[in-house]
Amino acid sequence: MTAAQVHETISEETVRQISDELDEPDWLLETRLDALAALDDLEMPDVIRTPGRDWTNLHALDFEEFVDPLNAAEDKDQIGPDEVEVLPFAEAVAEREDLLREQFGSVIDPEENYLVALSTALFSTGTVVYVPENVDAEDVTIRTTQNSRSLFNYTLVVTEQSSSVTILERQDTGESVDGERYYSGVVEIAAGENSHVQYGSLQDLDEETYNYALKRGDAADYATVNWVDGNLGSRLTKSSVETNLDGEGSETKTVGAFFGHDDQHFDIAARVWHNTAHTTADLVTRGVLDDEARSVYEGVQDVGREAWDTNSYQRENTLMLSDESEADASPKLIINNHDTEASHSATVGQIDEEDMFYMTSRALGDETARNMLVEGFFVPVLEEIEVEELRDDLAARVRERLQ
Amino acid sequence: MATLQLNNLHAEVVEADEKILDGVDLTVESGEIHALMGPNGSGKSTTAKVIAGHPAYEVTEGEVLLELDDEEWGEELPEEKLTWNLLDLEPNERAALGVFLGFQYPAEIEGVTMVNFLRQALNAKLEEREELFEDEADAAEDEDDDAGYETSPMEGPADEGEVDVAEFQQILSEKMELLDIDEEFAQRYLNAGFSGGEKKQNEVLQAAILEPSIAVLDEIDSGLDIDRLQDVSDGINALRDEQGTGILQITHYQRILDYVEPDHVHVMLDGQIAKSGGPELAEKLEDEGYDWVRDEAYEAA
Amino acid sequence: MSSEQDQLKQTNTEERFEFKKEERSAVRSDKGLTEEVVRLISDDKDEPDWMLDRRLRALEHWQEMPMPTDWPGQPDLTELNVEEIVPYIRPDVDKRSGADSWEDLPDEIQDTFEKLGIPDAEREALSGVGAQYESEVVYQNMQERWEEKGVVFMNMDKAVQEHPDLVKEHFMTSCVPPSDNKFAALHGAVWSGGSFVYVPEDVTVNMPVQAYFRMNSEGMGQFEHTLIIAEPGSEVHYIEGCSAPKYGTHNLHSGGVEVFVGEDAHVQYSTVQNWSKNTFNLNTKRAIVEKGGRMEWISGSMGSKATMLYPCSILKGREASANNITIAFAGEGQNIDTGAKVYHNAPNTKSTIESKSISKDGGRTNYRGLVHISEGAENSSTSVECDALMFDNESTSDTMPYMEIDESKVDVAHEATVGKIGDEDVFYLQSRGLDDDDAKQMIVSGFIEPITEELPIEYAVELNRLIELEMEGSLG
Repeated sequence: MTAAQVHETISEETVRQISDELDEPDWLLETRLDALAALDDLEMPDVIRTPGRDWTNLHALDFEEFVDPLNAAEDKDQIGPDEVEVLPFAEAVAEREDLLREQFGSVIDPEENYLVALSTALFSTGTVVYVPENVDAEDVTIRTTQNSRSLFNYTLVVTEQSSSVTILERQDTGESVDGERYYSGVVEIAAGENSHVQYGSLQDLDEETYNYALKRGDAADYATVNWVDGNLGSRLTKSSVETNLDGEGSETKTVGAFFGHDDQHFDIAARVWHNTAHTTADLVTRGVLDDEARSVYEGVQDVGREAWDTNSYQRENTLMLSDESEADASPKLIINNHDTEASHSATVGQIDEEDMFYMTSRALGDETARNMLVEGFFVPVLEEIEVEELRDDLAARVRERLQ
Repeated sequence: MATLQLNNLHAEVVEADEKILDGVDLTVESGEIHALMGPNGSGKSTTAKVIAGHPAYEVTEGEVLLELDDEEWGEELPEEKLTWNLLDLEPNERAALGVFLGFQYPAEIEGVTMVNFLRQALNAKLEEREELFEDEADAAEDEDDDAGYETSPMEGPADEGEVDVAEFQQILSEKMELLDIDEEFAQRYLNAGFSGGEKKQNEVLQAAILEPSIAVLDEIDSGLDIDRLQDVSDGINALRDEQGTGILQITHYQRILDYVEPDHVHVMLDGQIAKSGGPELAEKLEDEGYDWVRDEAYEAA
Repeated sequence: MSSEQDQLKQTNTEERFEFKKEERSAVRSDKGLTEEVVRLISDDKDEPDWMLDRRLRALEHWQEMPMPTDWPGQPDLTELNVEEIVPYIRPDVDKRSGADSWEDLPDEIQDTFEKLGIPDAEREALSGVGAQYESEVVYQNMQERWEEKGVVFMNMDKAVQEHPDLVKEHFMTSCVPPSDNKFAALHGAVWSGGSFVYVPEDVTVNMPVQAYFRMNSEGMGQFEHTLIIAEPGSEVHYIEGCSAPKYGTHNLHSGGVEVFVGEDAHVQYSTVQNWSKNTFNLNTKRAIVEKGGRMEWISGSMGSKATMLYPCSILKGREASANNITIAFAGEGQNIDTGAKVYHNAPNTKSTIESKSISKDGGRTNYRGLVHISEGAENSSTSVECDALMFDNESTSDTMPYMEIDESKVDVAHEATVGKIGDEDVFYLQSRGLDDDDAKQMIVSGFIEPITEELPIEYAVELNRLIELEMEGSLG
């Protein structure tokens, strides 16, 4: 794919029309138009390359075929308790322009790469969550059902000092479109001092959908940004969940789970930057691959020169159920401060034959035994998920897939 | 043997500018057992670390002197080698002169076996001593008398140092038996994976091997069950009775003092020795806490 | 401990590694990498046409390929100007294929290797020795008993003449073709010197053979080629060492190593790399391992300004195995980028990678490794363990493993840790009477202890000696 290809289907007019329908102020329109103009020069997001192999080939995507922003359609629920503002994007433009102006693009550069810029230019829907000082809010729920060829979604979360919020986001697709689709989601979290954000996401798009997701949080002093990232759907997912530990004593925990089957391709990244003193990160990912599914995992723990007293841990485990599946993994440690305790580990393997034998010797059928072991494999990550609803949903979807 | 003297010692944390010791006066002689008690944050551990030369603390006033008794050193020492201001010396030089610190939280060092570590420490101590006591003029000659690199570097050269491997094994076995320590201890890595109690026992073992004239034991009794407390106490008593070591025992609890009976008890408050007395003082503290000492101290002021 | 230190201080680096000799060359090429230079080298060696053709083809690859600059965190190669490097300096010695007596060498060369301790080592513990000075091997000898058994250990230039069939078949064809990477291409064009080792079927060479590579001149490049063919059931241990005095301009070392491990054969390849800190050290080392064969790479990287080295094992036959031990020590101004590559291309293959890296005084270490398990390589297992130790906050330590798993019946494990030398740890040891240097030295020894147990004793001694010198910061 080249930039020119997409350009033919997207004009400045298209961008103006989207912005106009949301009744956006000029600065936001300008941001979108700048992003559109930048497409020519921007690169695709980084993918890992080793001699003779690209771990994910984004250039094969036929954007011309499925990028159709003006016909975007969706069902959306955006619900939250009263003390939190949970605003559809158009409402946020109307009511909280000041907040948007301050925070939009503050965590993720709107022109960070080709796919982010495309999303910036074309997003037509989104959610803004604002949590005032000292408010403790659970159960903010955002559900998006894509009913069109393409959908570009934008989410902004801002938490004020000492507040706390739990957000659960789900994406799936409706019945109304045949063939390939494209879903793009950008999530920015600005976590204020001593605030606590838990952001869970369950991606369950249909298996002809190409999915690009970039989620990033900036954590201020003593703030915590915790992520749960479940990937089950889509044909190809390129997803990165990232935290900047900018504030002293800030923390993050990222729990990832994926389950691929058929010819699904998951390119999953978990990244953390320790930018200052006394920060802690824990990245935990588990994935299962069946049939011809393929996974790419990249973990990055980057400890900056000024990050004294850092603790950083990463674990990744992949279970392969089929000989036709493929699992690539690259957990990276980048350490620039010696006052660091860091470790990472990664394993790839199959179901242990002894375990299978033990279970079948207790009269379980092969299938049942295997399914129990797969469910068991996910338990350590499920246990890390504090949101009960998300934990149950994920466990249920895993069980469903095993049927 | 020796006398350790703290005179008007003031110290603060280097990085935080936080004043911790505010004029400590204390004298410990070889053969005596002193208990240093006091509430959390009163400066007990800092006193221990400053004596040993911990780099996190800066001494702003006062002195820490070690006076040696020359009979014990086998030869007559010249006047200027009898009194040392420890504050001028590196931690290893202080150790060589016979000052030992038993740590509250001993470091865990992977890959270094106990036996290798202790033998090297013992030899380093003997060698450093020679250097400290010899005249400047003689120092140069000593440079090139060693050679050879015959065994695995991980074991350390077999022929090196005053105490060779066989002799050291002998010393080690004796001391381990004395302290009722399992022999496999010697082959384990230094404190790595040790339980809290094992670490404390190990600190006493090290003191027994290095034979200090003054041992400062920082909370050597915390985290010990009663059996181990007895072992550790036996070890401390043996240090005093058999080697004439002077003990400065820092503790929160009266409990260990039932096994290691102190000659002197000191109470530390706000970075100063607020009160000193005999063993009965410890009992009174156990019963009545520290408040009365504080009241007394401030009344006096 | 400290008397060792004293001794090492006396064995000062000036004496041991840093000494310089006046250059006395018979032939010296122009700077840069041109067809003329390549033809001059080939002509000077009186090579057959097929070797010249291979050199020229490699030169084409060099000219076409871009510099590798897009690897995350890799050493900066912009300071390396190949056009300023003299690729070929033939020392002025009487016997081209290598004297078999040290006495036959010119004084300054003889003195060089004596200072490096090579003749002593030969007498005590080696089956054979090759010594290269600048671009050619000047000394080559092997105990007669091995010759009688058909073992060949000769310099690579001579092997081109005397074993053309074996060399033609194996030299930069299936193992390291010049197209493999930019510096393999460079190597293929201007290679000179190195070792050819042939071990016949079922012969076990029970004492190691050693090659030592010495660069003496400023601004030169050394490109020795090592080709080891171990026939089925044979066994050999090859040790290489290298050093150079330090200069203000850059030197380049780009070696090529190809190892053919036959069925059930066992090859151990140990390197102690101590290039001076103005040297770019960019190597390609690879082994092809047949059924039941075992390849062991032991690489200690202490010297150089920048090293990029990832010894590779291609496990081609069932039950083949590869073990890698990598030790890297980066001090001030050094960037040591090293690791291992293993391709599991057959069932029941096994690999282990153990990496220990130490960075100090602003040095930079990076573990970069690739494990690939191909489809059908069932019941393969690999385990990777990387540990890093950092001394200070100016230093950097990265770990970048890549795992590509195309087969499900496998057991893949990677683990890495970064530990710090806490001030508390040093203080603890000091309070027991060790001085600051000894305390740190002890922590480093403890850190690498788990792998030194697996090292050949003579290797462990040399390694530890170099680490101690590095710890004192006394290596130039």
